[in-house]
Amino acid sequence: MTDRKPVYLMTPALAWLTAFMVVPCLLILALAFFRRGIYGGIVYEFTLSNIALVFDPLYARIFLKSAGIAGLAATIAVVIGYAAAYAIASMPRKRQPILLFFAVLPFWSNYLVRTYAWIVLLNREGLIVSLARAVGFDGDLPQMLYTETAVVIGLVYNYLPFVILACYAPLSRLNPEIHEASRDLGASEWTTFRRVTLPMTVPGIATGFVFVFVLSIGNFVTPALLGGGQFQMIGNLIYDQFLTANDWPFGAALSMFLIAIMMGLLTLQTFASEKASGQQRAEVSDD
Amino acid sequence: MTSTLLSLANIEKRFGELRAVNGVSLDIRENEFFALLGASGSGKTTLLRMLAGFDMPSSGHILLDGHDISQVPPNHRPVNLMFQSYALFPHMTVAQNIAYGLEMEKLPRTEINERVDEMLSTIQLTHLAERKPEQLSGGQRQRVALGRALVKRPRLLLLDEPLGALDKKLRGEMQLELKHIQNTFGITFIVVTHDQEEALVMADRIAILKDGELLQCGSPHEIYEYPVNRFAADFIGVMNFLPARVDSGALRAVNGSRIAAPLPADLKPGDNALAAVRPERLRLGVADADNCLNGRISAMAYHGLDLHLHLETPVSPHPVMVRLTADAAEGHPFSVGEEVSVGWSARDTRVFTA
Repeated sequence: MTDRKPVYLMTPALAWLTAFMVVPCLLILALAFFRRGIYGGIVYEFTLSNIALVFDPLYARIFLKSAGIAGLAATIAVVIGYAAAYAIASMPRKRQPILLFFAVLPFWSNYLVRTYAWIVLLNREGLIVSLARAVGFDGDLPQMLYTETAVVIGLVYNYLPFVILACYAPLSRLNPEIHEASRDLGASEWTTFRRVTLPMTVPGIATGFVFVFVLSIGNFVTPALLGGGQFQMIGNLIYDQFLTANDWPFGAALSMFLIAIMMGLLTLQTFASEKASGQQRAEVSDD
Repeated sequence: MTSTLLSLANIEKRFGELRAVNGVSLDIRENEFFALLGASGSGKTTLLRMLAGFDMPSSGHILLDGHDISQVPPNHRPVNLMFQSYALFPHMTVAQNIAYGLEMEKLPRTEINERVDEMLSTIQLTHLAERKPEQLSGGQRQRVALGRALVKRPRLLLLDEPLGALDKKLRGEMQLELKHIQNTFGITFIVVTHDQEEALVMADRIAILKDGELLQCGSPHEIYEYPVNRFAADFIGVMNFLPARVDSGALRAVNGSRIAAPLPADLKPGDNALAAVRPERLRLGVADADNCLNGRISAMAYHGLDLHLHLETPVSPHPVMVRLTADAAEGHPFSVGEEVSVGWSARDTRVFTA
């Protein structure tokens, strides 16, 4: 009796995911191996040309560009988010939930509204420019809206709460005696951070980084709104193939690669945090 | 007599309204194995944290080798702490854990490796040098924690409940091993413990703390045989307390019978007092005993090595504990409800102000 796990409780969720997510995705991905009709539509004739086209320098460059922007956004988000999580985890236990609540608060507002808010800020007549004028700066201000920088800022801003939560988890679980042990053995605060705290919280950093990276590389709303169509990220390219160019097979081929990259990263990250949580468990059992 | 290593001068630590440590003064000698003994909330851990440098005293001074270290941060004190949770670095191997403190001293790599190897063989973990802490047993982790602190050759090693997490058998072995290691290294050890047996077995001297104050400090023998007051007497081991009254130079129990005992000078006729005697000092029969007592057995407990009797007596509201050795109990088939007479000598009796 006792060793029979209630696997059947997972059935509704599994059925739902299979029917409405896995199957449609597979159907779309299958399109990658068919030919596009002359006026759009699909000709059911096997071909690898769509896959080959992904490696065309033109599109490969967009992949690299997207990865570069996602990587930059993830790096900045991790630096800012880790610092915030560290500060929160150092506060008295009682105050931490409320601080976390505030850190995550923007998350509960609409993604579009938040992104449009940045347009208001970065605009030529926007808040930042007005502020600069108000304090007496009257030189030339660089274009801010519709640049790569604006896209990175938008991505960092939107996904920062993820990173804070991901980094807070391992930081708050650290046994404070480990920190004290390092100090006791002669390490300064900085050395303790570098050699003990940081290595022990790498799983949180990895989780945060991968989340931001994966969500950013496929993002098409932020590049469209804050990038102003100045450049394309992979998400925009896929969007265009399906909705504008009417080339579903090529859109499917691009999606396949994007999904493969995401899955690869998420798998790596799962393994890394699995390994680390083994260490954490061993640590907890010491008490 | 060896010289003083550590002097605590009137140490006080307040957390808001709470006085966790209240005016403790102590001298700890070079090469001493010293125990701070107290229940939880006695201030022993706060005192330890001040010695390690994690807390600063609200007032008073800590002198190590004559230098005031009260305000020196933990990484600049020649003092190391073995944590109760061991606090090993989970992402480092055993060897890396031990090397960590030496790397902080910026010693040359060859010296670090030598000293780590030496320590690994001292704690008998050479074969597990490359293991991570999670792959070790509780006893092995404890040895790593000890080695990591010892390898720095501190002037003073602090041990917070060092044997608390070990099972009983291992604890017995480690008590002797710790004593042996302390002897070999010639480092002063201060052990914080709530376990009186641990303190009695290991320590050269014991300080009993209660509610942030020092109750008594002395050798295990002094602490056990000559407690300074009834709190100290009650804290260590088992003690029978008989309420009494001082009556013109003699002590009388509640039923009026005389208790033969050395009277402290500060007790005057009319004062309430407590006569105290340890269970193992009570003997069967009353022939040639200074004091005698009749009672009815209310409970018995057989411990193999000895037999414990609980006696209902006219002199105390609580049962009087008698501990008979297997030899003394030989040939007496005791049973609950039986009347027995026990006696004890005057010099085994302590008298305290009630």
